[in-house]
Amino acid sequence: MTLRKLFLSTTAASLALTAAAASAEEYVIGVMSAQSGYLAPYDGPAYAGFQFCIDEKNANGGLNGTLPVRTIVKDTRSDIAEGVKVVQEMLDEGAQFIVSSADADPTIAAAQITMADGIPTMTFAGTAPVLTQVGEHVFGSYPADNQQGAVLAQYARDQGFERVYLVKSPDSAYTLGGPEYFGAAFEALGGTIVGTSNYSLNQPDFSAIVTTIKAADPQPDVIVTWAWEPDFPAFIKALRGAGVTTQVMGGDVLDTPTVRGLGEVVSGVVHTSGGFPEEGSAYADFIARFTAAKGFAPDNNYYASGCDIANMIEQAVAAAGSTDPRAVAAAMAGIENGTAIMSNFTFKGTDRMPLRDVVVARITADGQKEFVLRAQADPATMPKP
Amino acid sequence: MDLILQQTINAISLGGVYAMLALGLAIVFSIVGLINFAHGDIMTFGGYGIFLSLAFGFPPVAALTIGIGAAVVMALALERTAFRAMRGADVVILLITSFAVSEILKVLFQNGISARPVPISLPASWSGTYQIGGATIGVVPTVSILVAFGSLAGLTWVLRRTATGMAMRAAAQDLEMLRLLGVRANRVVAVAFALSGLLAGIAAVIWTAQRGSVDPMMGFFPVLKAFIATVLGGLGSLGGAVLAGFVIGALEVMTQAFLPDSLSPYRDAIVLGLVIAALLWRPDGLLPAANANRS
Repeated sequence: MTLRKLFLSTTAASLALTAAAASAEEYVIGVMSAQSGYLAPYDGPAYAGFQFCIDEKNANGGLNGTLPVRTIVKDTRSDIAEGVKVVQEMLDEGAQFIVSSADADPTIAAAQITMADGIPTMTFAGTAPVLTQVGEHVFGSYPADNQQGAVLAQYARDQGFERVYLVKSPDSAYTLGGPEYFGAAFEALGGTIVGTSNYSLNQPDFSAIVTTIKAADPQPDVIVTWAWEPDFPAFIKALRGAGVTTQVMGGDVLDTPTVRGLGEVVSGVVHTSGGFPEEGSAYADFIARFTAAKGFAPDNNYYASGCDIANMIEQAVAAAGSTDPRAVAAAMAGIENGTAIMSNFTFKGTDRMPLRDVVVARITADGQKEFVLRAQADPATMPKP
Repeated sequence: MDLILQQTINAISLGGVYAMLALGLAIVFSIVGLINFAHGDIMTFGGYGIFLSLAFGFPPVAALTIGIGAAVVMALALERTAFRAMRGADVVILLITSFAVSEILKVLFQNGISARPVPISLPASWSGTYQIGGATIGVVPTVSILVAFGSLAGLTWVLRRTATGMAMRAAAQDLEMLRLLGVRANRVVAVAFALSGLLAGIAAVIWTAQRGSVDPMMGFFPVLKAFIATVLGGLGSLGGAVLAGFVIGALEVMTQAFLPDSLSPYRDAIVLGLVIAALLWRPDGLLPAANANRS
């Protein structure tokens, strides 16, 4: 009798627990986050900002106040093969949305895995517009390279620059595409490309390229590169060390404390950015909240970009009215003038790289970032991917 | 003409760094048969020594000195903790040990300091230029060349004119015989590691002065090139390592400077293809060691 009672009560309790678990709906987001390797400087802050805003939303009931979020976070070590593996693991664990690493190549690899089930996949900060070509479930979050290139080219022409020298690397879509988009927009606006040099990622030495630039005829009045760390510091040190004082412009990847900390050699360098924490803005408010909660201030845009991804997912789920992956992806693609921290965003009418404001900023002599302008790319001069 | 002069200076400057790193690898290999892939991390540690010294307010010259000292200490520490226990092991086991040590150090740098590059801002006056004819030459590359040649000359003097240097050369020939003659082998090996650390530290100073930042992977790529140089020069050959370091540096700069734009993505492949051709021509390297190890 006792045994039968125990069996019945255990069975009943199990069934009740199962039912409770099924009814407690949650939204599962898988996050690829490189903790080491070349993507760690970008994935790390982006994940910190993302998780911070997810925690804030969960404290208020979850997405739209009703749908708690559970995140699965896995390290990719900046290795694409490892990234593919962890994405599959996260799907097996029930992920309904994948946030992928901050570059086009790992995002494209992840998107191949998520394609079969149409799981929405959004890159932390990949900006190469080709990344969304994989399928209708893939999204960018940051202003794309062609938007950044078009805005920066317009600014350069407005400053009277006529001749540009491009320094690019075919080793990544970002370092190759950025300068090429700039060049295309610059030429469309009447400027001229007077020379191009290719470098390899992690190239030991830039002196040969600098000497070639010095010998260019005619001389450029602006040099543009989308080089990232540690290549950009090596390039700018070699350039200024050789006595070349030509204006240098670059992509959003220059918006880091490391670049600003290089001292006098980067004074006056102009770069694009995804946002700027103007006083009273939502961005400034995010910095204040984050600083109060974490004890340190975000020192680059990737924190805010991560938070914006949480905002984008929340708005897509609200618009879809369900958590079905294909419905969420379709709803995301239809968002127009969605609300976010760095700037509002529009996916409707795009190829899922959001149309957002691009900020142009200048590094000052004392290593600070100075706001120059905020604009959206002109569709007439924006190069096609 | 000015262009060729400037590119030549670039080539010598880069080759000098490769030569110092290759020599550091060759010194250790010639004595204990270890191809030390953690050599790049010793260089990186020197770079972090400079960064932390500057962060703690040391003047730049002191910071650079501390960086060199840090590299020497790290080299000695690795010899004592990781490589001494493996003394006499097969060359493959030693190689794997050095890879393991290298990976451990990289992870420690990433988690203990930063995964992203940290800036090293040296005084702007150190980045000036001067004119030779119509050519504008940078101060940093010039100092790099002088420091590289000074270091190589000093090391040559140590190896040829001091008792310790002679013991090291003897150890490179036959470590067991050196022991039988009553020379303390551990001391000779430790000095070899210290010298390789010194060269890695000096390379770190030049590298960070030219590149302006240090990151966990900083030493990996130049040491990869330096390893190619030690193979090209002849494994275990000190003179060959130096010569091949300059050859690799010159090939890199000249292919960067003069290859047409359409061929530039193949630059590394072309340089390595030339290295393979050279090794087919001289399989023991450009200047083989007396007890040559076929590359």
